[in-house]
Amino acid sequence: MTPVPTEPTGSTVRRTNSGAGRVLVAVYGIFALAATARATVQLLTKFEQAPLSYLLSLLAGLIYIVATITLARGTRASRRLALIAIIIELVGVLTIGTLSVVYPEAFPRATVWSVYGIGYGFVPLLLPILGLSWLWHTRTH
Amino acid sequence: MIDALAYVVIALAAVAAIWGVVTAVANKPPGKAQLLFAAAVEVVTVIQSIIAAAKLAAGFRPVELATTIGYLIGIVILIPIAWLWANAERNRFSGIVLAVAALAVLAMTLRLVVLWAPAA
Repeated sequence: MTPVPTEPTGSTVRRTNSGAGRVLVAVYGIFALAATARATVQLLTKFEQAPLSYLLSLLAGLIYIVATITLARGTRASRRLALIAIIIELVGVLTIGTLSVVYPEAFPRATVWSVYGIGYGFVPLLLPILGLSWLWHTRTH
Repeated sequence: MIDALAYVVIALAAVAAIWGVVTAVANKPPGKAQLLFAAAVEVVTVIQSIIAAAKLAAGFRPVELATTIGYLIGIVILIPIAWLWANAERNRFSGIVLAVAALAVLAMTLRLVVLWAPAA
């Protein structure tokens, strides 16, 4: 048995993979699977139809994979990677979401982040906000 | 795919999802009956994927074959992973984890029903 890591004050170190964080990891995991699998199928079967859309979907999937693994590990080093991945994710969904509204012709096929993730009930917009909130909530002083 | 079986999966997944939320609200980890129920949902989901795979092997071709195959494989790994993840730290959030997986199975089955249209 390894003892639960504790702060000098005796309070338990708050890990990103504990409590409500486990639900966050579960949702990230589902998006990692969905986005990556979908983009892979699209890239392999109809790349020429919308290469930019499909590559962006694959990028989203890879970012979700990184976020899932780093949040699930919950170590100090993995928190830093999670923060980077989730910031990229937030910038991505806001950028692609806005571009897809302003220049719909640039995205002939939907990406995970099109119109802020409307195809997935806007969860892609909500996830990075929840992710950053959770990292803030579990921060150590 | 068999429509009737798909609706059974959808109904069972809905019950599993609600059950997970109920225990979370009650601030309890999932009980034994609840975990067995999740396993039953998984068994029916696996049967559904096997039947669909058999129909594909027998020559049925949906419009989006690759996507359909991806869904048939992806849908069977969700509950086992969620089960392990939910049991590794047992508290109210375990139920929500199971509910999230059940909702994903529900949504994917709805999508499979639509995908299961023969290619012209």
